[in-house]
Amino acid sequence: MIKSIMEWTWVLAIFGAAALIGNWFGMDVLPWQALPGMLVLIAVSLVGLILEKVLPFRMPAVGYIGVLAIVISLPWFPGSDYVVAWTSEIGILALATPILAYAGISVGSNWADFRKLGFRSFIVAIAVFLGTFLGSALIAEVILRWQGII
Amino acid sequence: MEKTELKHVIKDWRLHAVAFILVAITEAIGLFSITVGPGVILLLPMLYAFFLGLILYFTPVISEKNAKHAEPLIILGVTLLIAKIGVTIGPQIEAIIEAGPALLLQELGNLGTIFIALPLAVLLGFRRESIGMTHSIAREPNVGLIVNKFGFSSPEGRGVMAIYIFGTVFGAVFLGLIAGLLATATPLHPLSFAMASGVGSGSMMAAASGSLIGAYPELEEQIVAFAGASNLLSLSTGLYFSIFIGLPLTEKLYSIMIRRTERKAAKGGGPND
Repeated sequence: MIKSIMEWTWVLAIFGAAALIGNWFGMDVLPWQALPGMLVLIAVSLVGLILEKVLPFRMPAVGYIGVLAIVISLPWFPGSDYVVAWTSEIGILALATPILAYAGISVGSNWADFRKLGFRSFIVAIAVFLGTFLGSALIAEVILRWQGII
Repeated sequence: MEKTELKHVIKDWRLHAVAFILVAITEAIGLFSITVGPGVILLLPMLYAFFLGLILYFTPVISEKNAKHAEPLIILGVTLLIAKIGVTIGPQIEAIIEAGPALLLQELGNLGTIFIALPLAVLLGFRRESIGMTHSIAREPNVGLIVNKFGFSSPEGRGVMAIYIFGTVFGAVFLGLIAGLLATATPLHPLSFAMASGVGSGSMMAAASGSLIGAYPELEEQIVAFAGASNLLSLSTGLYFSIFIGLPLTEKLYSIMIRRTERKAAKGGGPND
């Protein structure tokens, strides 16, 4: 368990460093300015990963992480002002860019499978993604308008 | 994640150096927007990073082993993304609760897939594969569901895998491109698209909501909160929507469509394939 925690910390730290570089080049936030926020995010992720292993429920780590991050940033949670102020130095896109950089490197190994799909599958896949995305947006639009939120 | 030893992943300095350089270069290039008719296609650093990474895979710079080592970084990177989304949701919890009904019901957006993509799949000549293909957006839980019910080498299993592979390779890029375009070209509100951004995986959501933020920077906090809340909800309830609504409906619709096709063929004049 201790070994896993050490390894997770390393991987999260490497990823976090990539994100801080992106944040610096993309948003002009100096890495040490964004460091406290990144440490908070890494800590939350670690706790979630540990809870997944320790608790008996069949919930994936991201479930715990999402809930935990929401709770510590609620206005009435002690110290939430700091959590929100620190993490707001990190742009969401600065986290997304390294994910997709690693994803690009990684999907190369799926490329052979991808080429086997054929043109017809490709068309259906596009329809599936477009259909789901537009379907969700349409339903959200109707209800948000009906509630008067937008 | 257990299969690749994290120890080796951490020490793969070549992989990390490549990733760091990709991030630095692409973020320095920044965002471009291309006007297409009434809408805008946004080219974001993450899209360049994805394609440059993919290209590097086919060069000696990245080996098969480096590519395998990249996987845990995606998984753990997504946990940081979810944490960031969580701390963006917290301060806006009241707005999220107010938008609760919309968040819950937009899960039914999957039905859009069934009504649009299923007829298309059948028309293109797919048979039972089309059930696996179109019952959902085919992320891991849905692959699990189909494989569990029909088996991995069944036609349904092949179908769900086809969409899963497409999603893995191009899902994020595709949603990233169409999210900005649709939000600027259609009369729907960006926040509706923000909720729709949560339909798939974490990286799909990041790409889709990222391009919405590029188009509407003044709505950044709200877009992240709505997309994130919708994604967390999809993670927790999406599978059950598929089990109880999506999959049964797809099967029902499929059997109706196949019966009509066969009746037409029996009357003669149908294509004999």
